[in-house]
Amino acid sequence: MDASLLDLRNRTYAAFVELGRAPSAAELGDEDEVRAGWRQLHDAHALVLNPATDEIRMANPFSAVPSAYRVQADGRWWYANCAWDALGILAALAVDGRVESSCPDCGEPYAVEIRDRSVDRPDLLFHCLVPAAHWWDDIVFT
Amino acid sequence: MNLFRSEEHIARWLGSKTPGATIPAQTLCDLAHAWWDTRLAPDWRPRTRDENQSILERLGLAGPFWTLP
Repeated sequence: MDASLLDLRNRTYAAFVELGRAPSAAELGDEDEVRAGWRQLHDAHALVLNPATDEIRMANPFSAVPSAYRVQADGRWWYANCAWDALGILAALAVDGRVESSCPDCGEPYAVEIRDRSVDRPDLLFHCLVPAAHWWDDIVFT
Repeated sequence: MNLFRSEEHIARWLGSKTPGATIPAQTLCDLAHAWWDTRLAPDWRPRTRDENQSILERLGLAGPFWTLP
């Protein structure tokens, strides 16, 4: 990944955290140049674009769209792409926080508090359906 | 990639789907910190496939299911 692409990637993530949402291409510079860079970053699995709009869908672990995993961290609420990413938002921000979601089977809501990298709900179980070899075949499904 | 209340709930949710892999929430928390903790670092760079595989292996996530392409 060359320096200009790395710079765009870093500015995209910094803007996401500062704004609390995905930045638009126009917010980061020349719209056509930013979109072209984002497409390269998408191909490199450094972020994920919405194929219909070329807007950011995921700046993993952050989700640009509402999801089943809400994360309270650093004075804000965030959406995560999955349970792994929900805890990943706290890791990326290097803060304690809270994850709220519900059991996909029965729908019962739960909250998990994370303090000093420890969860207060060790009874919950994470299930990964897709083998690692196929995570990026369809990352939104994964 | 979801968090469930118990094995019973996972089995019911899966139905006839082939099960994947299940790990405790604390292992997931450890994995999330190992995987994402440098994501916002100014000197971030993409990890290699082998670096990612090492993270999984350090947490005991080994075998065909956890083998990256």
